[in-house]
Amino acid sequence: MRPRLAALGTTAAVALVLAVLPFGLSGYHQALAAQVATFFISILGLNILTGYTGQISIGHGAFMAIGGYTTAVLSRDHHTDLVVTMAAAFFLCFLCGLVVGLPALRLSGVYLALATFALAVSVPQIPLKFSNYLGGSGGVQSAKTVSHLWLYAVSWSAAAVMFAVAWLVLRGRTGRAFRAIRDSEVAATSSGVALPVYKTLAFGISAAFAGVAGSLFVIGTNGFAQPSEFGVLLSLQILIGAAVAGLGSLWGVIVGAAFVGLLPTISSDVPVIGSSHGQDVVFGVIVIAVMLVLPTGFAGLLHRLARSRARA
Amino acid sequence: MVDLARRLPIRQQRLPASPVILLLAAACIFLVVGCLQSSIFAQQTVAGLATGVVYGSLALALVLIYRATEVINFAQGEMAMACVYIAYQLIQWGFSYWAAFFVTLPIAFLLGMAIEATLIRPVQHRSVIAVVIVTVGLFILIDGLVAWKWGADIKFMPSPFGNRIYHVGSVAIARQDIGTIIITLFTVVLLWALFRFTKLGLGMRAAALRPAAASLAGVRVDWMLAVGWGLAALLGAVAGLMAEPSQFVLQPTLMQPILLYGFAAAVLGGLESPAGAVIGGVAIGIFLNLVGQYVHFVTSELRQPFAFAVLLAVLLVKPTGLFGRRRIRKV
Amino acid sequence: MGRKGRFLIVVAGLVLAAVSATAAFGAHSSDPGITKTSIHIGGTFPLTGVASAYKTIPAAESAYFAYVNDHGGVNGRKIDFTVVDDGYNPAQTVPAVQKLVEQDKVFALMGDLGTAPGLATWGYANAHKVPQVFLATGDSFWGFCAHKSCQGSPKPYTIGWQPDYPSEGRLYGRYIAQNMPNAKIGIIFQNDAFGKNYITGLKQGLGAKKSLIVDQEGFNATDTTVTQQILALKAKGADTLFIVATPGQAIASLVTATKIGWNPTTFLANVSNIRPFLLAAAKAGANLDGLISSGYVAPMNDPNNAGTKLGKAIIGQYAPTLSADYELGDSNLMYGLGVAWTFVYALQHAGKNPTRASLEQALHSMNTGGDPFVYPGIKIQTSATDNFPIEQLIMNKWSGGPGGAMQPLGKLQNTGR
Repeated sequence: MRPRLAALGTTAAVALVLAVLPFGLSGYHQALAAQVATFFISILGLNILTGYTGQISIGHGAFMAIGGYTTAVLSRDHHTDLVVTMAAAFFLCFLCGLVVGLPALRLSGVYLALATFALAVSVPQIPLKFSNYLGGSGGVQSAKTVSHLWLYAVSWSAAAVMFAVAWLVLRGRTGRAFRAIRDSEVAATSSGVALPVYKTLAFGISAAFAGVAGSLFVIGTNGFAQPSEFGVLLSLQILIGAAVAGLGSLWGVIVGAAFVGLLPTISSDVPVIGSSHGQDVVFGVIVIAVMLVLPTGFAGLLHRLARSRARA
Repeated sequence: MVDLARRLPIRQQRLPASPVILLLAAACIFLVVGCLQSSIFAQQTVAGLATGVVYGSLALALVLIYRATEVINFAQGEMAMACVYIAYQLIQWGFSYWAAFFVTLPIAFLLGMAIEATLIRPVQHRSVIAVVIVTVGLFILIDGLVAWKWGADIKFMPSPFGNRIYHVGSVAIARQDIGTIIITLFTVVLLWALFRFTKLGLGMRAAALRPAAASLAGVRVDWMLAVGWGLAALLGAVAGLMAEPSQFVLQPTLMQPILLYGFAAAVLGGLESPAGAVIGGVAIGIFLNLVGQYVHFVTSELRQPFAFAVLLAVLLVKPTGLFGRRRIRKV
Repeated sequence: MGRKGRFLIVVAGLVLAAVSATAAFGAHSSDPGITKTSIHIGGTFPLTGVASAYKTIPAAESAYFAYVNDHGGVNGRKIDFTVVDDGYNPAQTVPAVQKLVEQDKVFALMGDLGTAPGLATWGYANAHKVPQVFLATGDSFWGFCAHKSCQGSPKPYTIGWQPDYPSEGRLYGRYIAQNMPNAKIGIIFQNDAFGKNYITGLKQGLGAKKSLIVDQEGFNATDTTVTQQILALKAKGADTLFIVATPGQAIASLVTATKIGWNPTTFLANVSNIRPFLLAAAKAGANLDGLISSGYVAPMNDPNNAGTKLGKAIIGQYAPTLSADYELGDSNLMYGLGVAWTFVYALQHAGKNPTRASLEQALHSMNTGGDPFVYPGIKIQTSATDNFPIEQLIMNKWSGGPGGAMQPLGKLQNTGR
């Protein structure tokens, strides 16, 4: 009962901090915090796929692109309310995730990583090909732009909702099925878990999360969607965030999201190396260090600390 | 939790080579006939051959690493790019192009070995995901380091083979392309000879195939894996140095498109087949050009998605590629 | 209440006092970014990434501002120019601009480079009434949308500087229609607004002779080779090539054309008409003699030109690492000097105590032929209805082989509508 209470308490404390925070922050910092929320949602989604069912994806930037463009195009062409576009992105990307998940059933490990990497590279090219509807490299501008406070409020509310969804999905039968698949597909099948159903479902859910994150990403970029915003690096950032967070657990996700979301701004003051390159170098060094020294990520660290306290 | 899969037998079925050989023969005949019929076809084929050998040698580097350590090195392209920048720096310090070329190769070799020993070995036995993440981190790290040291703007390197163009009929063949083909194929053949005829090569093959038995036979498995990475890095450096002249400028994004084509080539040929990697590379180079020329829907934006489609098709239909061996696991 | 409690109350009180004091202070000053002794401006540029060939532009601008500061500044105020890298990625430009406006509280945005980055941020800048001055891109948006509604609203705070791309395309079109009536034109272009703008202009300039265009082949800004496109254009029988590309792909196009044994009459968009890059193309095998382009900055290979001499001195003193580049004829440097001069001119005409509104007023009533860094004879003019500062171009042609340079072709021409 106690660990449950502790977890609940921590969640409540974090929620309270997040609710009060924006009133102490300038608009610019609110936007930054909103960006952390965006990464929070996409890392959560990737964690469900890679951490809980063991399917590697280096292509979630592609789903973010789909979600982002959905928002921009719906807003530009139909003046749809932005929150409604987020829901549309959720469902559209869920379907896309299912579509990708089906052939992915035949791939595993490294092969799946390769295929999703190729997805990440190719999807941003599509708006360039179909530039009449999707803006080409002139991009798509949504009809409405939002204030920093709006962005903060909606991002973190969405993050809370997504977290709740993830928690509900993962604690039930589905979650147990996912974990069984990750640990041993053979054993899972033998125990009656329908692999194709759950693996594809995981892809769908994970893609849906990334789609919502993509929506928020575009809304945060002044409502402007353009292919160069969704380069390969974005997919890599999500993967790195998930690794730092600790695959297979929900608790480290906020640390992973803060790391990926805030590092670019912090590293612009890196003394020797300087802005953009500093960001890449720090990213690379930290993720390699985490994998070598702390492979279970931040969540693993928490777990270890909890265990050592329990023993003491 | 008991992993039943490990307890169950793995049956390896040797696939008859004939359908694939027939397919290749048919493709060759198609190409020759096409070249004789149309000069633009021939031009595209020659251009595709030159770009294809570069894809093939990067693919071969990927295959080498995969065979040795069952790892896909996402940083292969960036490692190659870093080696090209090292050559660039040597040239800035006064080396001639070819001197820089031959000094860069052992540097690349050592770099590959060092990366394997320090970064890959500790995580290799954990999980596929861990290694993927480390190589991805390496990708970003190398990108940042190169851009920091040399800047991300356009740099110029002297062209290794000069600018002469030969005309065969109405097809123009640059000396550069001929040189690229010769150097790359030469490196590949040299590596093949190393693997086939030397004790070191034998040791490396043994370490990749049956590490436990090899170690009992006196092979230092750890060293062999490091050497494998070193050779792959060397091969990548050659690919990078040959790719740069075709782009006319040097910038950190040099190898990024080539990496995707390299992956597609490696998968097409079979991730465990060196010959397949090279043939796959050439095939992709040539057919990408021909499809771009004759299929109007496939404009330049769709080149990379097209390679992706090839990758996906192969992975779905025959994941072990043209030359790979099919592994059947019965549960 | 314990000691801790009282201590906390005192601290809270101090914090509250400090906050309200700053707030009060803030309420007294005029527009942000301007004090009695300095003006803080900022701009986003691709210091890294695909477009980093242009990073010499902000370097030249900074050098000019340093020169002006050493000579008393503008009405006693020194110009503080913050250069921010956005990697030509709009997703980075937006937060960078937001930081400049909301955190650094700049007086104006100056020189932001790139069309896509501009499109991503002009809505924000105009909504916050921040002058977005002299965007470093030739898209015609910045000229047309001051009073017309574009993407939902007019953008009066945004203005460009250089002659716009359609004007340049029109120039080449008119030239071809007059001098090469039987040409078969093939176009290789960057597949975005930048490229398509040029083609629109070219077609307007060709007029009735539009049918001379036999083929157009697009490529993406991130493509590293253009072999396919060049091969296709040659196959369609073109004998005149129009290259609409940034330096990387421009070099590739020039060299590839020669490599496949094709020798068309070539027109080059002036964004890539930068001598160091053309020299490199020649070194890689391109045949440059006869290459036609255009320009609007002072001729760097004319040692007697006043702007060239002044520029050499300024770069030599304030950006010495770029002197070698300047000698090679990197016209990006001259461009940066020209833009910076124009900004200082506008600032001087914005009154003794400039505000954003007075700067905007000055920007829309410019009339000067005094910018030494533009081609002799070019006037910088704007009005309430004319939002294009420079509307003149001089065509030029390469001569002198692999070590040569662009020489003027004909006279300065008006490219206005």
